[in-house]
Amino acid sequence: MIVEFLSAGLDVFLSPLALGFTFCGILVGLLVGAMPGLGPLMGIILLLPVAIGLPPVAAMGFLIAIFVGGSCGGSVSAILLRIPGTPLAAATLFDGYPLAQKGRASDAIGIAITSSAIGGLIGGVVLIFCAPILASFAANFAPPEYAMLAVLGLFAIVVISGGSIVKGLLAGCFGLLIATVGTDSFSTGLRFTFGSHNLLNGFHIVAVVVGLFAISEMAAQMLGRDLLRKPDVKVERPGLGTITMTLKHYVNLIRSSAIGTFFGAIPGAGGVISSFTSYAVAKAAAKPEEKYGDGAEGGVVATESANNATVGGTLVPTLALGIPGDASSAMLLGALLILGFIPGPAMFENSPDVVGGIFMVYLASNIFLLIAGILATPLFVYVLRIPKVYLIPSILLLCSIGTYALQASVFDLQIMLVFGLIGILFRAAHYPLAPVVIGMILGPILEDNLRRSLLISREGYWIFVDRPVSTILVVVNGLLLATMVYLTIKRARGSKQSELAKALSADE
Amino acid sequence: MKHIGKVKGTVLAGAFVTASAIAALAEFPERNIEVIHPWGPGNAMAMSKVVAKAMGEELGTDMPVISLPGAAGTKGQKTAMGKPADGYTIFDGYVAPLVLQPILGNADWNYKDFKPLSAAVANAFAIAGQLDESRWADFQELMAYCKENPGDLRYSSGSRNNLPHMVIAKVLQSYGCVAQNVPYTQDGNVFKDLGSRVLDFAFINVGNYRANPDKVKILLVLSELESSKKAYDGAPTIGELGIDLGLSNLGPMGWTWWIVNPDTPDDVTEKLRGAMERAMARPDVIEAIEAIGFVPLDWDHTKYEEIVGSVDAQLNSMGNALAWEEEELGKLN
Repeated sequence: MIVEFLSAGLDVFLSPLALGFTFCGILVGLLVGAMPGLGPLMGIILLLPVAIGLPPVAAMGFLIAIFVGGSCGGSVSAILLRIPGTPLAAATLFDGYPLAQKGRASDAIGIAITSSAIGGLIGGVVLIFCAPILASFAANFAPPEYAMLAVLGLFAIVVISGGSIVKGLLAGCFGLLIATVGTDSFSTGLRFTFGSHNLLNGFHIVAVVVGLFAISEMAAQMLGRDLLRKPDVKVERPGLGTITMTLKHYVNLIRSSAIGTFFGAIPGAGGVISSFTSYAVAKAAAKPEEKYGDGAEGGVVATESANNATVGGTLVPTLALGIPGDASSAMLLGALLILGFIPGPAMFENSPDVVGGIFMVYLASNIFLLIAGILATPLFVYVLRIPKVYLIPSILLLCSIGTYALQASVFDLQIMLVFGLIGILFRAAHYPLAPVVIGMILGPILEDNLRRSLLISREGYWIFVDRPVSTILVVVNGLLLATMVYLTIKRARGSKQSELAKALSADE
Repeated sequence: MKHIGKVKGTVLAGAFVTASAIAALAEFPERNIEVIHPWGPGNAMAMSKVVAKAMGEELGTDMPVISLPGAAGTKGQKTAMGKPADGYTIFDGYVAPLVLQPILGNADWNYKDFKPLSAAVANAFAIAGQLDESRWADFQELMAYCKENPGDLRYSSGSRNNLPHMVIAKVLQSYGCVAQNVPYTQDGNVFKDLGSRVLDFAFINVGNYRANPDKVKILLVLSELESSKKAYDGAPTIGELGIDLGLSNLGPMGWTWWIVNPDTPDDVTEKLRGAMERAMARPDVIEAIEAIGFVPLDWDHTKYEEIVGSVDAQLNSMGNALAWEEEELGKLN
């Protein structure tokens, strides 16, 4: 059956138009991903009118390649500039940026691109071989499971907070708080909108991320004394060496890709959660000498393989059930409908050539990503040679264009600036920024699914232990919480004892 | 020198007059025209992009569709109508923000406050149940079960206070059926949770039904139109079951009518109307709209008052079934 799909798909895929548009899609994707503000969704929306005029497989190749390239492109600006091009790459800067600061920018981008491509290919293998099984498993994820999964995701804050867990948790709470702004979908009441219609749907996540990370980073850069200096950065093309470097982390690569595919397959979960979760798991499993947060290659491998594997995962429910995994795949689903194909089980039976063609363009996109990404890396790294006096205003301009383009809204620009100021204050007080993003993304998932579960339940909170997967997640969450509390207390006692020992030895 | 000064003045004045004349003669549109879409990315937005692309081709400009979801579509409508009345902003006027929210007291406008371009599309809803349901065989039995077990059943209409919610609540009210509405932000998840038996019944649109026609059972099509019955493979309609909701034609259906700010100059409005009417008449546009599961509408602006006015009157007079549902659920808790 799978072979039939692939051979039928190969015939339609091997056309200059399909191959050419898939390659163009990767270039467009890398560009929209790397530009702060824009991202794969915006790329797909902007180019949908072009795609719907093409033959089906070429059209889907173009759009899927934008999705794949855009999911990876954000890592470029995260690594080089400490600005995630998309929220998907917010976790990549933990280790990508320090790696670049150590003079290994080309290596870091090479690892990010290779991990993205391999993660995407692993997601693709799952898509091709397990789509119906994974789709039916994911279809059984109901509000109680989503709520417990969101709680699990919040634990990532503790792992990624680094220095101070309390500061990380406070930043996470801030993210949860700002996620409450807007219209409450349950009561249709307005929360913290202060009479402004611009706040009826809350804050746009991209405006917040660009403000928090990009504006505050540019402000920090402006305080430096090297604004006019032309940095002497060695620009080189990453070779096969980066592929070897990435493959050294094969356990991390496979585990993170599996996490990414899983989160992708669950409609509504998305790539941001998968990249943070993969990073948290990789960090927790790493040896201390790997120094996560200080330029560990494994950190880049974890986040980038996960967020690109998520693309393959989101295509599972989109193609197999006709249920989009996220906003980008919702647009892909719309494109398929316009092209005359109804995603779902019937499409697998009636149009095996198109299904096979989509599988092929997805796999090819990831291979093209590796080729185009590696070839283009010197161009990206060249950005670091631009003196900051030119670089900073250019980045601020790009951030503004990207943020405005989201909804053609000046209000989003104002939000970007406000969160830029908040980001500056956070940095000044040494509060981590990433937990804000986690809180903001997981907040609505947790709140909506908790309330939804309680509306569905006929026995109150017992619904969370009535269902097997939800029960397992409740137990896992309980164990994780207990472990974290235990470790925190142990660490606190350990530091008290060492302080006491120090004091005693000083007395002697 | 004096002559040179005079010549300079004449040239400058000439240039000014010429520039003014060029500006006056400049043809609308001179730049992109934005279409504000009140929902998130998905099938409806893809459909709007089809219409916008065709209309842009007729006008010789690009027409980007901008997604501005929030507050049942009212955020998009407020934003669109707050932009300059120059014809460069069009609102994808769905029934929820245009007619329903003002009726529910959540918006301070009336459909008459805007200038219509042309009708775009309609989308019929249906109530779907599980395929292997043993508690009831058809819609009438479902209602009988619901009446015997008040507050026991769980259903979803997607978002809360939207048109499907209002229409389903009205149907339930007419049968005395009290069931718990469960709001969802993504329609796909409604369908998923219906399939996994988390929900007892739910609203469904043609797109979701066509993707998985073997996974659900259509119990009732919320429309009297033959085209809607056909889209749901001959399932019973409200007319056939003798359910009188006081809604006819577009009344129980989702639809969109593209509108502009009332102060938009007449010549610009006429140009937009002509382009939209030509776009909506194109076979490729009709084919693409039907492929997504929507029904193209061919009413021009002259029918706006009659068609939208009729829906407004029907929804106004059908009473607030949502308030009834809330009150009845409140009594049970």
